[in-house]
Amino acid sequence: MRALLQHIHLKGDKTIWLIVGILTVISLLVVYSSTGTLAYKARGGNTEYYLIKHGSLAIIGLVLMYFVHHLPFRYFSRVSQLGLWLSVPLLVYTLMKGTNLNEASRWITIPIINQTFQSSDLAKLALIMYIARMLAKKQEEIKSFREAFVPIILPVAVICALIAPANLSTAMILFMTCLLVMFIGRISLRYIGLLIITGILGIGSFVFVSYQLDLFRAKTWVSRVENFMNTDVSEEAYQSQQAKIAVATGGLIGKGPGKSTQRNFLPHPYSDFIYAIIIEEYGLLGGAFVLLLYLGLLYRVIRIVIKTPQAFGALLAIGLALSLVIQAMVNMAVAVNLFPVTGQTLPLLSMGGTSILFTSIAIGIILSVSRESEGDEAETETQTPVHATA
Amino acid sequence: MSIKRDILWRIYLSYAFIALLGLGILVQATRVQTVRGSYYRSLADSLTTSYRSIDAIRGNIYAADGSLLATSVPIYDIRMDLKVDGLTSEIFESKIDSLGRGLSQIFGDESGREYTRRLREARRAGKRNFLVKRNIDYQQLQQVKELPIFNLGRYKGGLVVEQKSKREMPFRHLAKRTIGYALAGVAPVGLEGAYDRVLAGEGGKRLMQKIAGGVWMPINDRDEIAPMNGDDIITTLDINIQDVAEAALLRTLENNAADHGCVVVMEVATGQIKAIANLGRDSEEGGYYEKYNYAIGESIEPGSTFKLASLMVGLDRGDFKPTDSIDIEKGKVKFFDRTMRDSEEHDHRNMTITDLFAISSNAGVAKLINQHYGKNPQLYVDGLRKLGLGEPMNIEITGEGKPLIKDPKGKGWSGVTLPWMSVGYESRFTPLQLLTFYNAVANNGVMMKPYLVQEVRNFGHVVQQYKPVVLKDQIASKSTITEARRMLEAVVEKGTGKNLKSDQYSAAGKTGTAQVANDRYGYRESMKYRASFAGYFPADNPRYSCIVVIANPKKGLYYGSYVAGPVFKEIADKVYASIINPAMEEVKKEQSHRTIVMKNGAHQPAQVVLKKLGIEYLEKASDAEWVTAVSDTTSLALEELTVSSRKVPKVLGMGLQDAVYLLENAGLKVVPMGKGRVKKQSIPAGSAFRKNQQIVLELS
Repeated sequence: MRALLQHIHLKGDKTIWLIVGILTVISLLVVYSSTGTLAYKARGGNTEYYLIKHGSLAIIGLVLMYFVHHLPFRYFSRVSQLGLWLSVPLLVYTLMKGTNLNEASRWITIPIINQTFQSSDLAKLALIMYIARMLAKKQEEIKSFREAFVPIILPVAVICALIAPANLSTAMILFMTCLLVMFIGRISLRYIGLLIITGILGIGSFVFVSYQLDLFRAKTWVSRVENFMNTDVSEEAYQSQQAKIAVATGGLIGKGPGKSTQRNFLPHPYSDFIYAIIIEEYGLLGGAFVLLLYLGLLYRVIRIVIKTPQAFGALLAIGLALSLVIQAMVNMAVAVNLFPVTGQTLPLLSMGGTSILFTSIAIGIILSVSRESEGDEAETETQTPVHATA
Repeated sequence: MSIKRDILWRIYLSYAFIALLGLGILVQATRVQTVRGSYYRSLADSLTTSYRSIDAIRGNIYAADGSLLATSVPIYDIRMDLKVDGLTSEIFESKIDSLGRGLSQIFGDESGREYTRRLREARRAGKRNFLVKRNIDYQQLQQVKELPIFNLGRYKGGLVVEQKSKREMPFRHLAKRTIGYALAGVAPVGLEGAYDRVLAGEGGKRLMQKIAGGVWMPINDRDEIAPMNGDDIITTLDINIQDVAEAALLRTLENNAADHGCVVVMEVATGQIKAIANLGRDSEEGGYYEKYNYAIGESIEPGSTFKLASLMVGLDRGDFKPTDSIDIEKGKVKFFDRTMRDSEEHDHRNMTITDLFAISSNAGVAKLINQHYGKNPQLYVDGLRKLGLGEPMNIEITGEGKPLIKDPKGKGWSGVTLPWMSVGYESRFTPLQLLTFYNAVANNGVMMKPYLVQEVRNFGHVVQQYKPVVLKDQIASKSTITEARRMLEAVVEKGTGKNLKSDQYSAAGKTGTAQVANDRYGYRESMKYRASFAGYFPADNPRYSCIVVIANPKKGLYYGSYVAGPVFKEIADKVYASIINPAMEEVKKEQSHRTIVMKNGAHQPAQVVLKKLGIEYLEKASDAEWVTAVSDTTSLALEELTVSSRKVPKVLGMGLQDAVYLLENAGLKVVPMGKGRVKKQSIPAGSAFRKNQQIVLELS
């Protein structure tokens, strides 16, 4: 194994590689189990179809990750600018005429390869990178409103506003993540506090106006939150009820791999509610293990931050890691009905088409930071905690 | 370095916050498992597995000769799942208009635009089980499956089909009320109601689990309760006699503009009901239909037909003889303040009992009975009961009218009760009860219980057989019976039933013309009559008894002999010609040698039958659904019978049940004639047809 790893020049934090590997294996197992229904409906019972499709994407993702982690991370400073400039017109285009999936215009089709992808995935990645760049650049005058706060918050506001109509929850999570990164990047708490208040007011009035005029998906948002607030068990929304059944029937050790029955009742058991299926099949223990993998990932990134001398590298790594882990937490919180239903996928686990690729790129960048901070001599040192985690 | 430290504590704080959220997730998961765990687990059981009922196939009702009176054919409800994954907005929007138009063309009840509007609305509302149309037939279903969107199938087009079955009566109105129906929540009617348990069979139960694609799969074989298909019942009804009875009754009702009427034909020796027709006028649209089972349910004052019972009481007690003569006082006899009048004025005075019975003299019978039993009416009433009158018949189907014979010691008995009772007023009987009495007279005094069902069969095996039941061994002495029958013959020979005389055979019976009491004014002001005739034929060797009751004929004629009699005669003529003396028919029966003749029909049952019988045959139609049997004296071959769904199917040579199934599924309305195999179909096979077009099948 070690020979193989050395042969393919796997660099950067080995624990992160291991966590990614474990998550990919779990992902293949659970996606294969939970796409049975979809395979019957859409593929005439060809149950391997989605396994193969998802497996191929996961492998492409790993290859992409490997390729990206060999790039010097300073490249991404420029790339972030480029990505951001590309994101804005793409988001506008998506809003105007996206493929309507579940009534939300989130997807656009790349013309030549005919592959759909969520433009918000690209925007998300570019925005986090861009904030890291700006925060690093403005460290000298970071407490300034005009010099630091405004130039950073402007792109955040524009991107989130463009994502919000089609995908409010993604916009909100992205906004919060950005605020957290800005907080970490030492932006003055006063401004952030001010922003939270305006953010709440802004989103509130946006939802109110949309609801009144029946614009965008306002009715869906309100009904989902209403359903979540509703404590009457008999009237609870179908999705959360089915998810709770999955969780409740999982027990401590679960029903066993491939033994889920709720996959036939839960909508999107392979993406939005994959965590419920994980608990159903692998129990509370399996669920806790997956959750710890994400926390472990974040922990390892903090280790990278400590080791990284450059502010940009540190902020880039922690920003991307936070974005990923927060999304994971939200997905899991939705599955156990701690949060209202949102359409967030579980990064690295869900069957999510192209978003896997963006997640892979993000991890690739983190590993790139890790690779450069470690230097060549650190490569074998990280082997020890691998065994501890496994 | 201070910057780095500053950044780090902020990172640790964020980490702590996220770790806390992670803890919250685990706590919540644990809570779901423990606090509400049992609730959700029970919910899971009820959702994923359930006992699904499997419907049993309802049994058929047959006439005595095997003609199919009632059977079940499949019908369908179509629904639409508007949220199926494969039905994208693009497909929906581009094809919804043509789908709406198509539905409108098939059903013709709503405009295409209306269908489109409803489907759009249902899609907006996210309906997964939207009812498109109820109770469509097989042919329509095939068309619906071809429509845009629906032709994409269940998971892309969202078409959901539910099969049900509909009761079909191939002979339409024939004996409809007696065949009846059994519906949930409605009082059961007729044989369908009475034999509902037998016909319905028992639905099965199967433990199933919902699996991928929303399909229900049986979990195991052990838990399964197989459905028991309903048994068939073979009635005593003779389709030919029934047909004649119904037609004759209908014509008479129409000719006389009567309110309603009924006919019952009974086999003398067994009590089997061979025909039972009940027609009532449709108060809104005119015309007659099987409205109510008057023959069994309506308890009425019998009128003159009851005089037979009155006289038989005296004859049997030896109080008088048919040859005794009395003064009938020109048809007007006074009892206290009331006068009993004959229906027609005349000058007759002295008359034998036979003669006064033949002219149906009310005055004569009333005077005779009052002379003998005026002092002790109990003797008369006991005599009636001895004749087997006053007891219900307990016929299989529900709703039998209660008979009523007044009690001299009871309330409502007055000095005039006896004379009026003797001529058929004051008491109440159903036509069937009265017929049973006449049948007993025809049957040399043995009273047979009337019955409608002779056998219950399951897949051709006899499950239960109903034998004739004797209600009373001897209702009167042999001599009384002989005398009574002479008197009944005299009615047709020279009395009120003269018009019923036939050259071919002799009939016996009694006419009846009863005034119907008006609710408000009693008999006096009432101009309503009930004409009846009860009798049997042939008089010397009775085979069938028959009663005809016509309520409120309005065309001036109200005498039983003119209104009800002809119905009796028409039935008797036909039955005599076709059953009792079918000299002409004998010749036909000489064909059956060794050739195996098989009806065309469904493939698999044909194989089963041939195998069971050990008959070798040539299989030339391995995959066919319908087959025709080609045979000569040496061999038998099954060949494929092509049945087109768009064009009229070929049903020549099929049995009626298969033919009705095929044709009605194709969208035709079947009118069968005769019995046996299909000899002729009025629309040739292969020709196009309108929906609901009638096709007449001649059976032989």
